[in-house]
Amino acid sequence: MSLLAWLLVIASQLALVAGQIFLKRAMSRREHGGEKARGWIGMLVIGIATMTVWFLLWLGVMHQVELSKLMPFEGISPVLIVLGAAAFLHERLNWRGWAGVGLTCLGVLLVSAS
Amino acid sequence: MHDQLPSASPPKPAPGLFWNPYLQIFLTVLLTAAAQILLKVGADASASNDSLWSWLGLAELGSGWTWLGILAFLASFGGWLYALRFLPLGLAFALTNGVHIFVPIGSWLFLGEHIGLLRAGGILLIIAGILFLAQSVAEVEEKV
Repeated sequence: MSLLAWLLVIASQLALVAGQIFLKRAMSRREHGGEKARGWIGMLVIGIATMTVWFLLWLGVMHQVELSKLMPFEGISPVLIVLGAAAFLHERLNWRGWAGVGLTCLGVLLVSAS
Repeated sequence: MHDQLPSASPPKPAPGLFWNPYLQIFLTVLLTAAAQILLKVGADASASNDSLWSWLGLAELGSGWTWLGILAFLASFGGWLYALRFLPLGLAFALTNGVHIFVPIGSWLFLGEHIGLLRAGGILLIIAGILFLAQSVAEVEEKV
């Protein structure tokens, strides 16, 4: 993979994690109502904009690199999301959750290696 | 506890199977798998060159397959937003790994691709992982 492809992959992963956290924040605000609920549409727009950036970056990467080489990055994105959700949304996983994340990531790596 | 915003009572989904957040995640996964296959077909169909459009990912927009893929992504997005109202982000996102079960199966069904032993093992691991995730979500819900 070229340096440009690596930069695109890293940028797209960052956009994915940030976008999902914005989306979750937006939907949480909407659910919780009250004073906090007012900003939910703005937060949703920020989330959708970030996911659009991710989408275009990912399309660009898919054009440059074979899909099989990209699958490992798809595989680690749930781990990045879990870490991001822990840091910014204070979500905590129990051991079953971590086992599930680990097994699915391993499975994705196997599927992509074949 | 799973969000920094205070919650008087945990949100409850509307009654009925269709409004079950897990069914919505499942639909999201199916639509995303369809979108991935369509986008790959679109990317292969569009001309390969090193122009600015190309590496920004905009050259693919010339293919009808890409637009179908985008439509499938948009449809999956509705189900995803709905599921996010009720499930923690980390668990819900990990559940979307189910895409990697349906992409090989779809590629086998529609593109005639072979599923080898390694790939079949990977699919089984993902299924096992999703069962753990489902149990984990159930535990979380019991505590709430």
